[in-house]
Formats: sequence, C-alpha cells, structure tokens
Amino acid sequence: MTLRARALAPYLFILPAVALFATFKLYPIVWSFLLSLFRTEGTVQSFAGPANYARLVNDALFWTALGNTGVILVVQVPIMLILAGALALAFDSALLRLRSVVRLGFFLPIVTGPVAYGLLFAVLLNPQSGLVNWLIGVDVPWLSDKFWARIALGLALTWHYVGYNAMIFLSRLQSLPRDQYDAAAVDGAGTWRSFWHVTLPGLRPVVLLTVVMSTIGTLQLFDEPYVLTRGGPDNALLTLGLYLYENGFRYFDFGYASAIAYALAVVIALLGVVQFRVLRDKT
Amino acid sequence: MMKELVPGFTTEFPGVKVDVQDVGNPAIWDKITTGLAAGGQGLADVLHIGVDYLPAYIEKFPGGLADLNTLGAAKHKDMFAPGLWETVSRDGKVYALPWEANSAGFYYRADLFERAGVDGEALQNWDEVIEAGVKLKEKTGVRLLAIDKAATQADSANLFQCLMQLQDSFYFDMQGNITLDSPAAVTAMTIIKKLNDAGLVADQGGGWNTMIGLIKKGGVAVQPMPTWFGGIIADTVPAEKGKWKVRLPPPVTAGGKVSALVNSTHLAVAGSSENQAAAFAFAEYVLTRPESQVHIYKGKGIAPALLAAYDDPVFHQPSPFFSGQKMGEIFLDSLRQPSYVTNYSADYPRALKLVDDAQSKVLLQGADPATVLRQAAEQLANQTGRKVVR
Amino acid sequence: MKRVMLTSVMLLAVTAMVGPFYWLVVGATHSSAEVFGSPPPLLPGGHLLDNLAHLQETVGFGRTILNSLLISGLYTVLAGAVCALAGYGFAVYDFRGKEALFGLLMLGLVIPGQVTLVPLFKMMMAWGWLNTYQAIILPNLALPFGVFLMRQTMSAMPRELLAAGRADGCGELRLFVRVALPPMRPALAALAIYLFLYQWNDFVWPLIALRTTDAYTIPLAIASQTGATDTDYGAILAGTAVAAIPMAVLFLFLQRHFVSGLLAGAVKE
Repeated sequence: MTLRARALAPYLFILPAVALFATFKLYPIVWSFLLSLFRTEGTVQSFAGPANYARLVNDALFWTALGNTGVILVVQVPIMLILAGALALAFDSALLRLRSVVRLGFFLPIVTGPVAYGLLFAVLLNPQSGLVNWLIGVDVPWLSDKFWARIALGLALTWHYVGYNAMIFLSRLQSLPRDQYDAAAVDGAGTWRSFWHVTLPGLRPVVLLTVVMSTIGTLQLFDEPYVLTRGGPDNALLTLGLYLYENGFRYFDFGYASAIAYALAVVIALLGVVQFRVLRDKT
Repeated sequence: MMKELVPGFTTEFPGVKVDVQDVGNPAIWDKITTGLAAGGQGLADVLHIGVDYLPAYIEKFPGGLADLNTLGAAKHKDMFAPGLWETVSRDGKVYALPWEANSAGFYYRADLFERAGVDGEALQNWDEVIEAGVKLKEKTGVRLLAIDKAATQADSANLFQCLMQLQDSFYFDMQGNITLDSPAAVTAMTIIKKLNDAGLVADQGGGWNTMIGLIKKGGVAVQPMPTWFGGIIADTVPAEKGKWKVRLPPPVTAGGKVSALVNSTHLAVAGSSENQAAAFAFAEYVLTRPESQVHIYKGKGIAPALLAAYDDPVFHQPSPFFSGQKMGEIFLDSLRQPSYVTNYSADYPRALKLVDDAQSKVLLQGADPATVLRQAAEQLANQTGRKVVR
Repeated sequence: MKRVMLTSVMLLAVTAMVGPFYWLVVGATHSSAEVFGSPPPLLPGGHLLDNLAHLQETVGFGRTILNSLLISGLYTVLAGAVCALAGYGFAVYDFRGKEALFGLLMLGLVIPGQVTLVPLFKMMMAWGWLNTYQAIILPNLALPFGVFLMRQTMSAMPRELLAAGRADGCGELRLFVRVALPPMRPALAALAIYLFLYQWNDFVWPLIALRTTDAYTIPLAIASQTGATDTDYGAILAGTAVAAIPMAVLFLFLQRHFVSGLLAGAVKE
C-alpha cells in the first residue's frame, strides 16, 4: 500500500459519517439558523435580523421554561443519580447471584419509550381513578397542582432512568480492582473510609458520564411533560423543548422556534463544554 | 365514520380511490402543519380541520388550502347553519365546507335538581345557577359541574369561552384586536371564580377519562357541554335513563342570549392536491348530502352543519334517555338563531394557552379575574403584535 | 439485622421499578373502561386479544410491528457500521482537520433535534422520500453519541497490534475488520442496543415523515389511539407492552455486554 493511500485512509473511514452528518444535520441546522433571523408566520416570511432573539429576552414564558428546566437539572438529576449510586452499591455488596434478574428489572423501564411510559404514568397518577392514589389512600392532586405535577414528572423520569444509570454504576463498581479495598483494609480503614477513599474516586468517571448524559437529556426534555400535562398546570412543566415545539408546530412561528432552539443550543453547549472538560481531564 | 361512506362514493365516482387515514388528534396538527410549512405538499387531498385552527391555516399558509369557490362551492352557501359560511370564507374565497356544528348546551341531572327543589328549566342567569348549585350541594352532596382546573388539556376553558360567546364576545374582535380582558371576559371569568369559591366545581384534571369517570360516579350534576356530548352521556351511564334533561345554557344576564355556536369542524382541500376536483367531490358527497350526514349522526352522534339533514325524523324523536325531550330539536332551534360570528383569528392557539393559564391561576390560586385577564391580554399583544382594545 | 434492612430496601426498590411495568401488563389485558375502574385492576384480565384486535383494526398493528422491526434493525446495522468506521478513523489516525471534524459531529449532541424538523421535512419531500424507510433511517445514521462512544472505545486499542498488521502487509480496511473489530464486541453490543432503542422509540420525526398508517412505527400507532375524545387506554397499554418485548429479548441476549461496552467506551483509564 502506498503512503498516499494510507494518508487517505482516515478520511475514507470518516467519510460516511461526515457526509451523512453534513447532509442531514448540518445543512438543516444552518437553514434553521437563517430561519431564526426571519419573522415567520407559517409560510409568510420577512427578514427581521435579531428581532426574534430580542423577543426572547422579554418573553416571560421563555424564562419560565428555562427556570423549569434548571429546576429539573438541579433537583431531579442529582436525586436520581444518588439513588442510582445507592442502588448500585446495595446490589454490588449483596445480590451477585441474582444479577441478571436485577439487571433486567432495572432495564425494563427503559424499554418502554417516552410516549408510552408518559401515558402509563398519566393513567397511574390519575387523581380520581389512578392506582397510586388508590394504593396510598390519599387524593394527591398529581398533575393538577404545580408542586405535585413537578413531583410527578420527577417520579416518572426517575423511574425511567434510575435503573439504567444504576447499571452503569454497578458494572463500574464491579470492575474496581479488589486489591485497593484490601490495601485499605490493611491500613485499618473502616467501611465508611474505604467507601470515601476507594469507591467514590473509582466511581468518578461514571458519575461524569451519567451527569453529561442526563444533562443533555434534560435540556431536550419534551415527550414526558407533553404527555403528562402538556406543560401545565400554569406552565409548571413547561420545558424549553416543549416551548420550542409549541411555537413551531402550534403557532407556526418557525423563526421564533429556531431562535429558542439556538438559545437552547448555547446553554447545552456551555454546560456540555464544562462537563466534557472535567470528564476528559480525569480520564 | 367517514370510512363507511367511501363505498357509496366510489360507486358514484368510479375511478377515484379514497383512502381515509386515522391520525390521533394531537398528531394530526403536526402532520398538517409540517405539510403546509413545507409548501403545502405531502398532504392528503382532503383535510379535516377544526374551527380553532382553520383561520391560522388560512392566514399563515396562503395557498395551503384550495379556494373552493373555483370548484363551485358558492352554490352550497345557504345550506349550512347561519354564521358558518363566514367562518370558512375569507376575502371572497372559501377554504372549507362545514361538517359538524355544535351549539352550547346544558345537560343536567333532573333527579338531583328535583331532590334539591330546583327547577332546571327555570334558571334565568348564572347567579341563579350558582344559587341552585349551593342548594344542590347542601341537599345531595353533589357538586354542580367540573372543570379541568390545571388545564391539562387545551380545551379546559370551554365554559369560560362559552360564557363569553353567550355575550356575543370573544378573545378577538372582528378586526383581529385583542378583547381578552373586555368587560364580557371579566364577567365570564368572575362567574367561573364564584362557582369555584362556592365549592361547586369538581376538578377533572386529565381530561376525557376523568370526565367520564365523574359522570359514572355521579360526581357532578351538570355538563355544560355542546350538542355532541348528549350521546356520550347516554352511552356512559345508560342506567340513568330518564334522570337526565337537557336545555340551552342559561343566559349570562337575565334575558340574554342562550344560543352560541361553540365549535365546528370542516373539510378542506389541500392547495397542493393534484386531484382537487375529485377531493372536492368527496367533501361535497360527505357534507352536502343529507343522507351522508344523517348516517354519520346515527353512527357517532355528530351534529351536522347541513340544515337539510335535520328534516330526517331522527332529529325529531323524543329521547328516552333525556326524559322524553326532543334533544335534536332543542339544539336545532339554537342552530337556526342568527349567530355571533366568532373571529378565532390566526392566533387562537396562543390565546387559548394564555386563557388556560389565566383560568388555572383563578381556580388554583384564587387570583383576581380582571388582573389575570389583563396580564394575558398584554402577553398576547406582546407575542402577536396585535392591539389590545379596551 | 443490617442484612435484613438491606434486603428489604432492595426488594422495595425492585418492586418500585417493576411495579409500574407489571401494571402495564395488567392494564394491557383490560378494556379502557376497566383500566379506569374503581378499584383499579390488579390482576390480568381477558381483554388482551380484544385490545390487540382493536389496534390491528385501526392501524394495522401487525404491519406496524414489521415496520418497526425492519426500520430499527436496518438502522442498527447501518448506523453501527457508520459509527464504528468513523470512531475508528478518529481514534487511530492523526490527520489534518481531525479535531475540527470531530467537533463538528459533536455539534449534533448540543443542537436540539426539533431544530432540524422543518428543513429536513422539506428535503425529504423534494426527494420524494416521504413515507419511505430511508426517510427515517438515513438522517440519524451518523449519530454523534455513537461516533463518540466508538472513538473512545477504539482509542484504547494498542497501536502495536495495528503496526504489526501493517508490517504483514495488511490493508487498512482489512486491519479494521480483522484486527480492530473483534475485541470491540462488547462495545458494539452496547452500541447496538443503544441504536436499536433510539430508533424503536423515536417519535417526532417518524410522526412527521411517515404519512400513512401502513408505514407507521409502533410509537405512532400507539399515539394515534389518543383521540380528542375517546382515548383507548387498553389498546395503548397493550401496544406498549407488545412493543417492549423485542427490546427485552434483545437486552436479554446482549445484556452481558451492554454496560461493560458502554463503560469501556465512555470511561478510559
């Protein structure tokens, strides 16, 4: 094989991905950016420069959506990940023999798609005739009260993703070298100290992996709040993804929707860069 | 239901192939919207569009819907209930043919009313309705009506909207200005608030299934729902035959209007369709032949906009479920009234969302109707560039 | 004592995880009216076949399942190949523009999918691709997360192995197939599950690109059961339960590899 052919090889390997990406993502993304500079009402368009972005700043609903997304990110994601970690620790120490059963149990939620489990939770949490209120014997106003609707969304999201994350933690735990624990034990470290000094640092890379994946997922969250309450009550579950969709496909304001998308992309990119950096430095 | 009419149509129009698609309701908007946004292509030939979205499609996607006048729609103008032709036309063009026409109604449990010593027929305005509701709750423990307080569904403010229409008013005036915080709107929202403050409103969060559940449980005494809902009640609780009655809604103030055309749906022809003539022929077959409409009414209880359909005896029979009342005639009387033409405008979806939010604030947090409506009106002006008229 | 507590906590956790799924199966066997009955049903009923028959009648559910299997299967194979090739290219070679091109692909991770819907739809229409499998399969073949995963995995590969292959006169493509891929099996399995799951559950794009019921995928068929008025929850739950079966089977076969593969890719030592 000639040197030239070898120099060409990497380009050939990445060619399909780059070509497909350029055609089906990059081109529409650029198109969409141009669209964000237009005042659009359906197919009626006029150039508006940065007017859509200026509108964002004064749009109370945009900030509500951003705030809601932030709340999920700051409250639901950490709780879910801590829960996932705790589950992984519990199963790591005890139930090795039942591992595949447990894994399947954890995986079951994720095989039901977002639309499907959203509908499932809407039925389970129905205030009048849902199973959950019947079981606990209290009429909790799930979905009809701002606070409880957020709890309901948190419950649904946690149910869907906690097992998935727990599995990732679990297999990391099981790949941690045992000799480090032994060394810690020799040094006279108790359970708590060996957890603090061996387990936790060992988990660090997967923590970052799951944090990055959950962050991206949260910022684009759409199907679940849409199916549960359409973003209500009084915009308690309005996410950026939902607001973008409403503006585009309910109000036909594609220019404004594109501007929201780009604002969202900037937020994701900023958070992503920060988290990515940390992940990379440590690995 | 439309599917059942296809064989008859194809015998009359051989060579035309008809494929009726079932798309879930929320999904159909996405399909039509993306189709129209992409230059109107990739759409079905005939589109089923509700009054809430029709103006938006007409205004925001010029050419998206075919002008049916060029296909001869004008001859059908006087066949439909008053007010509907204005809804489907714009600037001399006709964009759809009316299909169903629903008038505001007031279904109530006559047995419960009787136990509470209230005559449902005699209610003259909504203050009396509230009074009756209080008595009803004292004597029977049943609440007057239910609202989806958290607005989990887009149509949660139906009662509010209906109360506005009974006052010949709406979220927009005929020029497209915002009238969302008009005195009529505040009056309507105040009625909703009074009902709620008196403890007469049950919550039906979750929409349809909760509503049906409440009817089954006997949880509420009144369903302030339009024409099509009568059949639903009869199907849901057949055992309560004879216990229900129906009337037109009490006016907002004594002597006011009792008739309001609260919603309608239509068939339009896609501007991009290559078979516009055949598509229009199908719409005509379904919508302008009384037999077709009577067939659909018998099957699904959908009230036709086509007035000639009402000559069929099925609309004039006493209904055993509604205590022998002639339900069809009650609504037909309403339908024949000169109707206030509602300007839904192209921004109805935005307005509706703001109204839902405003109503949630009133019902869940006890907010002041005038304040939340003013905020909603201002926000709507901000979003759409329309003027608020006060 | 500690053990008892630990065990009961874990049992509770598993119950909470499996509970809703169990009830999904229960709900799938009841009519919509029974689902909302009081008290709600706790044991399987006899309505499963009726629910499935309803799905078959309204959207042709058999065809729907076939569509979903074909689309997801084809997508998994093709996207797997595209991502593995690209990941390998980025991982083992140094070339001009490498980081810029990789960064470009990663842009796809941060731009929300909804942005591309309208332009993508216009493209598909211009090409006459609406309602076709390729309209669903092609746009997401170069899945950024897949490329990322593969790059991370492949960069762990010992370069000496490749150098040895080259010294034997092995071509670059052969090297990839014969030397690089075999040890990557766990990562490929993880990628396969990820891709299949992604396509199997994808909703908004198929909703827009697939125009008739005979082309529907499972999420579309399920969503089409929610009407403005009568939503058939029995049918929805039945469809959802059936839709979970292939995923559960796939997972059972590949589960050993799934997590380890995902880890190997995303967590480099």
